[in-house]
Amino acid sequence: MKDKILMIVFVLVLGSILTAALVAVNYVTTPVIEKNEEIATKSSILRALNIHFDPESVEETFAGNVEVRRRGGTTYYITKKDDIALPYAGSGLWGPIEGIIAVQPDLEHLKGITIIRQEETPGLGSRITEADYLAQFQGKRFTEGLETVQPGRSSRDNQIDSITGATMTSEAFISIINENLREVIPVIRQGEGQ
Amino acid sequence: MRRYTGAKGQSLKTFLNGVWRDHPIFSMILGICSALAVSNKVENAIAMGAGVTFVLLATGLLIAMLRKLIPTRVRMITYMIIIATFVIVVDRVLKALFPDISQAIGPYVGLIITNCIIMGRAEAFYIQNNIGQSLIDALANGFGYTYTLVSVAVVRELLGFGTILGFQVMPEGFTKWVVMAMAPGAFFVLAIFIWIGRSLAGMEEE
Repeated sequence: MKDKILMIVFVLVLGSILTAALVAVNYVTTPVIEKNEEIATKSSILRALNIHFDPESVEETFAGNVEVRRRGGTTYYITKKDDIALPYAGSGLWGPIEGIIAVQPDLEHLKGITIIRQEETPGLGSRITEADYLAQFQGKRFTEGLETVQPGRSSRDNQIDSITGATMTSEAFISIINENLREVIPVIRQGEGQ
Repeated sequence: MRRYTGAKGQSLKTFLNGVWRDHPIFSMILGICSALAVSNKVENAIAMGAGVTFVLLATGLLIAMLRKLIPTRVRMITYMIIIATFVIVVDRVLKALFPDISQAIGPYVGLIITNCIIMGRAEAFYIQNNIGQSLIDALANGFGYTYTLVSVAVVRELLGFGTILGFQVMPEGFTKWVVMAMAPGAFFVLAIFIWIGRSLAGMEEE
């Protein structure tokens, strides 16, 4: 009986001490981690807007070029040239895909796009993060929705080449972007009085 | 086998066992999952090796310190909570100080908890030996794990990306062996490494 009590006391005491240590580590690291994530998001916004920046001075470049606006539940980022960046999110083939999409001042053509988070198959679906694939989106007209076509077949200004071996991810990615734009663009149009 | 005597001899023997005779990867075939997954780039291999070594050292220290107090029936759960605590510390510190590496090795930091090297060393060594010997064993096993990962990563990064630690090594126009950057490459290179290691150590199939 005494053994059992000692055993429980041992586990409880050790558990409490280790938990306390973790709380302390969490307390110290949380602000740093949040700061890192904020910088990652800001540099992603700058890249989507095609604004050049030095990795050392993301904060300054962001503050100097981009203004944050809120309308309803939507947050978007507007530059002095009226280019607008907005966060998007949705389900890819295997997990959530999140990033930033930038549109031109006419609210009809894309300016650029970046991916912050994705969990697609490495080497296949994860190739949506490659610069060559993402560069295709620049200047595309999205008012009637973007379309994904077989690699090398894109001819109209709303078509995007899919990735060989990753058709499902390519399709999921395009529909995430279409859905997000469909929802947010009217809100921004209202907000900017167009 | 040579005989080592005295405290110094014992320490040397413990160290050599960890880095060579009882090498966690090619002798024990432990920790293979993370060795396969994280060895695509040298940078990731070093970070993972450092993480595992830190967890081994911290776990070894704490378990050797508490070895007379830990009740036999709950020793496994004791190892688990101790290991888990240090793994979470590594994960948070990587996220805070090296966000890029943390992003690259992603879930595998959390999976250090299930890395059999740590659980295995805890049960086989730390629970029976004093603090000094346990720390030497932890260092040796961590080093053994790290140099294996880094060797595999050097081959894979060189052939798969044409770089070492991100620096271009292969000439312009070098055709990248994409397979090396993906999982199958890890199997090939690690298997060759285990083969060479076992042949050099003169280990026989039992």
